Amino acid sequence: MSTTPEGFPGRTLALVISSLGGEGGGVLADWVVKAAEIENYPVQSTSIPGVAQRTGATTYYIEMYPVTHDRLGGRSPVMAMYQTPGNMDMVICSELMEAGRAMEIGMVSPDRTTLIASTHRAYSILERSAMGDELFDGEDVLKAADALSKRSILFDMERLCQQTGVMINAVLLGVIAGSGELPIKPESFELAIEKAGVAAKPNIKGFRTGLAYVRGELQLDEPPEESSRWGRRANMDDLLEAAGRDFPPEAAAIVTEGVRRVVDYQSTSYGSAYLARMAAVLDADKAADGASRGFKLTAETGRYLALWMSYEDIIRVADLKSRPERMARVRKEVGAKDNEPVVVTEYLKPGFEEFASVMPPALGRAVMNWRDQKEWRRDFHFAMRVKTNSFFGFFRLWMLARMQWWRPRTYRFAEEQAGIGAWLDALRDASARNYDLAVEIAELPRLRKGYSDTHQRGTANYHRIFDALAAPVAGFAGDGALQACALRAAREAALADEEGKALDQLLGQTQIPAQQPREAAE
Amino acid sequence: MERSFTKEVALLRKGKGEIFEGEGILAITKALLQSGVSYVGGYQGAPVSHLMDVMVDSKELLAEYGIHAEMCNSEAAACAMLGASINYPIRGAVVWKSTVGTNVAADALSNVASSGVVGGSLIVIGEDYGEGASIIQERSHAFAMKSQCWLLDPRPDHTRIVDLVEDAFDMSEATHTPIIMEFRIRACHVTGRFECRDNKQAKYSSKNPLQDPVYNLDSFALPPSTYLQEKLKIEERYPAAIDFIRKHKLNEHFDGKQDDVGIICQGGLFNSVTRGLQQLGLADVFGEADIPTLCLNVTYPLVEDEVIAFCAGKNAVLVVEEGWPNYIEESINSILRRADVNTTIVGKGPFPKAGEYQAEVMLKGLAGFLEGVVPRGMDLAPISAAVAAIDRNKAQAAELLGAPIPKRPPGFCTGCPERPVFSALALAQRDIGKVHIAADVGCHTFAVLPPFNMGNSMVGYGLGLASSAGIAPNFGKRTVAIMGDGGFWHNGLSTGIGGAMYNDRDQVLIILANGYSSATGQQYLPSTTAGGSVDVDTVMPIENALKGLGVKWIRKQHTYQVSKMRKLLREALTTTEKGLKVIIAEAECQIAKQRRLRPLVAKALAAGDRVIRTRFGVDEDTCTGDHACIRLSGCPSLTVKPNPDKLRKDPVTTVMSSCVGCGLCGEVSDAAVLCPSFYKADIVQNPGIHDRALDRARRMGIGILQGARSNAGINAGAGQ
Repeated sequence: MSTTPEGFPGRTLALVISSLGGEGGGVLADWVVKAAEIENYPVQSTSIPGVAQRTGATTYYIEMYPVTHDRLGGRSPVMAMYQTPGNMDMVICSELMEAGRAMEIGMVSPDRTTLIASTHRAYSILERSAMGDELFDGEDVLKAADALSKRSILFDMERLCQQTGVMINAVLLGVIAGSGELPIKPESFELAIEKAGVAAKPNIKGFRTGLAYVRGELQLDEPPEESSRWGRRANMDDLLEAAGRDFPPEAAAIVTEGVRRVVDYQSTSYGSAYLARMAAVLDADKAADGASRGFKLTAETGRYLALWMSYEDIIRVADLKSRPERMARVRKEVGAKDNEPVVVTEYLKPGFEEFASVMPPALGRAVMNWRDQKEWRRDFHFAMRVKTNSFFGFFRLWMLARMQWWRPRTYRFAEEQAGIGAWLDALRDASARNYDLAVEIAELPRLRKGYSDTHQRGTANYHRIFDALAAPVAGFAGDGALQACALRAAREAALADEEGKALDQLLGQTQIPAQQPREAAE
Repeated sequence: MERSFTKEVALLRKGKGEIFEGEGILAITKALLQSGVSYVGGYQGAPVSHLMDVMVDSKELLAEYGIHAEMCNSEAAACAMLGASINYPIRGAVVWKSTVGTNVAADALSNVASSGVVGGSLIVIGEDYGEGASIIQERSHAFAMKSQCWLLDPRPDHTRIVDLVEDAFDMSEATHTPIIMEFRIRACHVTGRFECRDNKQAKYSSKNPLQDPVYNLDSFALPPSTYLQEKLKIEERYPAAIDFIRKHKLNEHFDGKQDDVGIICQGGLFNSVTRGLQQLGLADVFGEADIPTLCLNVTYPLVEDEVIAFCAGKNAVLVVEEGWPNYIEESINSILRRADVNTTIVGKGPFPKAGEYQAEVMLKGLAGFLEGVVPRGMDLAPISAAVAAIDRNKAQAAELLGAPIPKRPPGFCTGCPERPVFSALALAQRDIGKVHIAADVGCHTFAVLPPFNMGNSMVGYGLGLASSAGIAPNFGKRTVAIMGDGGFWHNGLSTGIGGAMYNDRDQVLIILANGYSSATGQQYLPSTTAGGSVDVDTVMPIENALKGLGVKWIRKQHTYQVSKMRKLLREALTTTEKGLKVIIAEAECQIAKQRRLRPLVAKALAAGDRVIRTRFGVDEDTCTGDHACIRLSGCPSLTVKPNPDKLRKDPVTTVMSSCVGCGLCGEVSDAAVLCPSFYKADIVQNPGIHDRALDRARRMGIGILQGARSNAGINAGAGQ
């Protein structure tokens, strides 16, 4: 066995920084190298900067030997070019999944590695482009970090950055310094920032912020409690009280929020209609021993009924876009200062469908039939650019929003209420047979979302699945658990691709039970 | 350029005895100056792009020494530059990315190598292999063998690298042969230090130009000279190379107490071998190892007696040679066989045939070798334990993480002008069905990845159109070829457009003209205007080149106008007009643009000028979480966040503060009729009196309407 001469550490210190393009990982690596040079230690860094790989993860690998050049007297340690599993002293990640990736490839070991990572998420393109919710669960990464590292320093550095107006790479440097795991004085790190000369002043502020956080001198603000985004109206209190009183605690929060939403959408009487529908669902749920299942049926139905009843039409969009709190939110989102005027332009493109939706039922239906006959009519849209905070632009939206009173007399309203009725009937019938089946039917309207083509695709998928798998089986015999599985599979398939290939394949395979149509059986 | 080296260029002036601290690429440049070169050139490409950038940034310094720096149009042009050293005693160095660049340069390389050189000629190649590589995985080794050039693969240590560069010029002159020196990706970017020598002024250069042309038919690559040259390569230059390597000890022999086994490795892998041995407890921190090692800084040719002397008397020797075929291992085997030395050679086996020798591969390969040959007196237990610990740790991580961590495929940058073209192409294909898309090399290659998943074949740089020659006539509908402006000037103009015109090909070509060789770091091209900062007289517009070749159907279209681009694509794909139809999709590379504009905007803001800042956003109230917009764009600043609505489960789309306001999300939303959630916000910075007055008036008017609404009890707003 080889042994290093007496008085010298047996190995170099190995650090890896993994960050995403544009976060300044290279600058961070440079600071660490410069700080080690200031301490007169041998140091080396190398990288896969990914000149051509703009949005991928980039890694920087640093080695240093904590003995000064003077003491080494001409000797030089051999430093490696690659980070090595089982050999890392510090792993620094600017984002949570990168910490997960480092652990996945064995870079974090319990006997040696300090893991420093921000817990915020930068979602990958696969997570972002999913048709539903495919965000990776970060909890597992946190648990793994706990188990696999010698020490872990994990917190939401992005939030700290927002709170204090600094950059994440400087915060990371502060955390590295504050961890005390490297034989480099904080002053040397600060000097390194100055020497590097890249925005030294704000970066020193960021460095000190990270340092202060690790030393416990600074706390993250608690995120504000999310209150309901919907306002309150006269005569609404009774409804809210009823929702809280009549519904079991597991469902009450959702139903209460549902009431707020539909009242905000239309009127208090519309809210009463929502509650009446929900009361019937609750009865069915109770009859199906929902108590033992946490009243999941009531809760999920409460969620999707409220969303369906407050479907997005041009009146709703105009209403939401012309509210004062919306303008305040926009100003905040785009980072406008108080004295800076902001001109907001909306991209609206209604077609015949949108116009038909606010016509009386008979006329609307006629227009839709006429539209469906020719491709150009389906493709025809009026492109509108509306400047929301010019007076006339706003006036157009405001006028449209004023049409709320007219909504219950429209074609779309009638269509949606009929759809809701059929859906509620089906899930109530199903609840008498199989609880899971009913819950799956309750969740099906999750597919109904979006506008224009997206909305047409979503509702078409909903109807395909509902007509094939939900409506026919709701009130009849058969293996309810199996049918519930089929429904879930179909819902997931509908969200697998835009062209509907997965759903086609699945519906082609699934044996649709040979049953009489509903009406005929009754 | 992506990175400026203006500051670092000062390092290149350092003189004798001074300490240089910096990146590998810079160290190589310094070594060239210390070697007294008269000309340098090359073609950009990772991992040696920065070498080109350093040359551009140090033009002034180079001029002081009379060194000419040429930004070549392709690697073939770069290699042809070495023609200067065939007849004249002047030193030169050229650089490119390999193996792709060496493929392009191969014709010139064969000729220069056959003719032989009198001036030292060095080819610096960035061996783009393994993690972070962007090209097909091959070795450059074979080029050295077939053309009879000498291949150096230096141990990654700045002092050693600099010495070897200087040696290489001497070796080139001593053997009349161009030298190839390869650097792996990490070696190009590794930082380190070395003691400088003075820069050298070449005898002949623009400061002291050559006067008399040399006529020498023997060095002309034409029969019968070529037969003579072949003989010279084998009978004179090769033995001279062996002598030079031996005499100057270019390869290094590191002793170790374990005399029954040994390791022969490529120089570039030496540090990885040492680290592996350290981790297995067989080497100390200064690289003193138990196992003797022969470090091959010259990987072609091998010095037979050096290999024999190292192997003789050992039971087994491990050859650590990255990539396939294993030329060195095979060659050592045959050397030993001829010398009747019975040492067992181990290489591929414990080491994989394919793929980079990263740390874990190295560790496991070394352990596998030792476990297989059982060196005398060596305790193998800690070695097996070290490997088992890594596997155990990874298994535990996989279990705790539950599922594989989502991958992060590369994609177009925020605000990239090429992305909208693919959005438009996606929409055009909705109208007229899917078409065959012959892709090309460049940033636009990312279109083949999510979210676009677009592109059916790709065969090389600038070859998008040429690769359609067999497809277009045999396809039931018109096909599309893609080409970047980089690929256009590299060879696409002749191989693609020239070929398509000459053969009356009926197809569509989209030239993505973002004004730079962007993927390699925004180097300038002949058509670069850099937002008007390049002298107009020197710009060569792509359109003129196309007209010169007789292309009739040429349309220029600003890329961000998605609806117009979609219409244009539809027209090009369905028009009855035959022949080549070229769409020049123009808009400046956003990285370059932002780099140019940012300081100007900062200056204007500081001066109190009125500046409009544009940003896009998504209304979280109206977004329903389908993410069709992301699938048609994929902009990094267009992302998702957990839905703030208590009832909705699907994440909503949101625009991050990194948005540069290119407008694509609004355009796509409009062109694809997606959703009314997008809005554009023009923020008036340093507003004037007029702006403020208008804003006040608008707010007042709107406030009255909004007040009317809440007074009517329709909505009193959140939180009241």
